[in-house]
Amino acid sequence: MPKAIEIENFSYGYPDDTVALSDITLSVEHGQRLALIGPNGAGKSTLLLAMAGFVKGTGKVLIEGLQISRKNLKKVRTTIGSCLENPDDQLFMPRLFDDVAFGPLNMGLEAEQVKLRVANALQTVGLTELSDKAPHHLSAGQKRAAAIATILSMAPKIITLDEPDGSLDPRNRNNLIKLLGSLPQTLIIATCDMNFAAALADRAVLLDKGRIIADGDAKKIMSDSKLMSEHGLEVPHKMK
Amino acid sequence: MHHAYIDKFAYQDSPIHRLDSRVKFIVVLVFTAVVISLPRISLSIVVCYAVGPFTILVLGGIPLRFAFKHILLVSPFVLVLALSCPLYDKTPVTVVFGPFLWQSSLGWVRCFTILGKFIVTMLALIALVSTTRFGDLLTGLQRLGVPKLLIIQLGFLYRYIFVLIDRAHHILRARAGRTLRNLGFKAELKIAAAMLGSLLIRSIDSAERINIAMQSRGFDGSWRTLSKLQIRRTDLLFALMAASFMLGLYIFVRPVLQ
Repeated sequence: MPKAIEIENFSYGYPDDTVALSDITLSVEHGQRLALIGPNGAGKSTLLLAMAGFVKGTGKVLIEGLQISRKNLKKVRTTIGSCLENPDDQLFMPRLFDDVAFGPLNMGLEAEQVKLRVANALQTVGLTELSDKAPHHLSAGQKRAAAIATILSMAPKIITLDEPDGSLDPRNRNNLIKLLGSLPQTLIIATCDMNFAAALADRAVLLDKGRIIADGDAKKIMSDSKLMSEHGLEVPHKMK
Repeated sequence: MHHAYIDKFAYQDSPIHRLDSRVKFIVVLVFTAVVISLPRISLSIVVCYAVGPFTILVLGGIPLRFAFKHILLVSPFVLVLALSCPLYDKTPVTVVFGPFLWQSSLGWVRCFTILGKFIVTMLALIALVSTTRFGDLLTGLQRLGVPKLLIIQLGFLYRYIFVLIDRAHHILRARAGRTLRNLGFKAELKIAAAMLGSLLIRSIDSAERINIAMQSRGFDGSWRTLSKLQIRRTDLLFALMAASFMLGLYIFVRPVLQ
């Protein structure tokens, strides 16, 4: 069985020649919960974009054994769901229902199937009652949950989340941890918040200046205070 | 941030809210055309037409204060136009209003008729927007044959205008927090230009990210939505009543009041 994600010697530079990712080699098994940790500007978001084929560099990116190319982008993006950092970018439809139905409709599913998927996704994130609401009427926590529902409705095998805990209060953050913890999918979570990462991840990949610095057991990496402070991070409270 | 959303009452439940968006849209469109086509000096009939949107607002549970507040917001443009009428048309006329009778000029009568038409048509528009969810309105427009591209643009406008307003407020607040003295007109203009530029660049950035969000969910240029609109007997009854009201006033009352 092919691995969920395989990246081989992937490098990418911005148009102004700044190196964003350098020689990244990474392999993710199905069902893993991987925290992509690193300071601001480390290349975490760019790596997530590369996984969904939005960034084209040198090297290989394979999703479930399928090398990303222009021809199979649609297939790749039904396998890997990308949840962006700002929910306002993710929720672009005038009504939450339409936003959650957007992906399944583009997958070519029948109306009844789409309705079922939307209902299930909204139920999973606890927003069933708000399906007719406009996204700008939702709170920050609800927007975050809604953004995840837009991905869940497509039933991807892999979900990438870019700073999903950003601007959430502790209660909403805990709710999000519970929600993400209950998902069966392979999760790739890019975050600077080590407490959030420690609550969810079983594996951590430390990225800095576009390079992988450490890759391994989440507890082992995140409890290494020297490694964490060297790269502008902190040891999670529960590991101190 | 909490905005004074124009559609803040659209999520209520009332017989008017439950009507099909297409029917409401067509009724408002025809109503607006009829009111605009009324003679420019016939204020009494305009007042009679006001009963329509007033009834809709009351039945829909929309506070009249909310409606008039929004009319006030857009009134300056029409006020300028209306108040210019008395300046160029000073033909004397006798105005009769019930038992009252007084002398005025044709310009003033036109001024009040323009204002009356503006208020009545705006009331109808606010009644439509306040009793119809924007998503349903867009779906209705799409089903009525409005080009998809326009629907998409309207959808984005509605979705992101509030985000843009938020950003503009944040920028203004950041400026206010650091503007500790009067900088003069030139400097203020320069700052305003920089702020607008910043807003534009941020909007372009957002557009790129929205494009990524759309593509990651399989968008290929075709806009697909699940429409749940359905015209029922109550919709037809509403359309019939609205048509009777408009035609009745136009055919029977207008000739009497003119």
